[in-house]
Amino acid sequence: MLTEIQEGKTLNPVVKYITQEKINLYAEASGDFNPIHVDESFAAKTPFGGTIAHGMLNLAYVSEMMTSAFGQNWLSGGKLRAKFKEAARPGDTVTINGKIDCMEQKDDVSYADCSFECRNQKGEVIVAGEAIVKLSSDKR
Amino acid sequence: MQGNTVNYEELVPGYKFPPTSYELSTSLVAKYIQAVNSAADGFVPPLAITACVIAAMAGSFSLPPNTVAIHASQELEFLKLVPIGSTIECHTIVAQKVTRGKMSMLILELEIFDQDKEKVQSGKTTIALTT
Repeated sequence: MLTEIQEGKTLNPVVKYITQEKINLYAEASGDFNPIHVDESFAAKTPFGGTIAHGMLNLAYVSEMMTSAFGQNWLSGGKLRAKFKEAARPGDTVTINGKIDCMEQKDDVSYADCSFECRNQKGEVIVAGEAIVKLSSDKR
Repeated sequence: MQGNTVNYEELVPGYKFPPTSYELSTSLVAKYIQAVNSAADGFVPPLAITACVIAAMAGSFSLPPNTVAIHASQELEFLKLVPIGSTIECHTIVAQKVTRGKMSMLILELEIFDQDKEKVQSGKTTIALTT
């Protein structure tokens, strides 16, 4: 967890290598067998030209970064808004970065307003968004 | 999970999907944790809940022919941790449906409750359909 929660603080990045095996595992775990993720011959005929990772898999990596930074405050007091801008494909290395943009105080409760981005190895933004974490009193 | 599928055309703003229940079993959570390579701590990772709900919802309606459904955006609020083994219930409503040329967007609002009827999560999912 972050030892200091303050404006401008960078969150520890998460780096993941995407494989078809990981995508298949995620499909089994979530029950999302949309062929764009798991059927290579189907996906090859779509505008994507091949299989792509589930958006929610990328979001799980964002959540990993947020959990690592904020622990239970994220898991039971977090809010996020994410846009899936590009597809992550097997063979991609995705890096999730985030930072605390500002700290807010509302009704005696502190909130950390964060932004995050998930980029592939070419620097293309795959997921971008904002997250807000409600901090318990021991974090104030 | 249960599932009579409805046609995409029937999904109009205000349409309520039948509530769906899920048991967040140890094996289901273990599979999710392995898939995303995260840590287990006795609670269900909130995104595991969202993932199951979205997958089931997406499977509950049939797409127009020759279209591909893509997750375009997601909003979520995590309100309460859910212990492994709990049963949750999801309520989903069509908030908006937008068609722009060959692209159609379906915006769904979700509310997820635990077995004590307390809300544990809420969110908004945008699914883009493209040809």
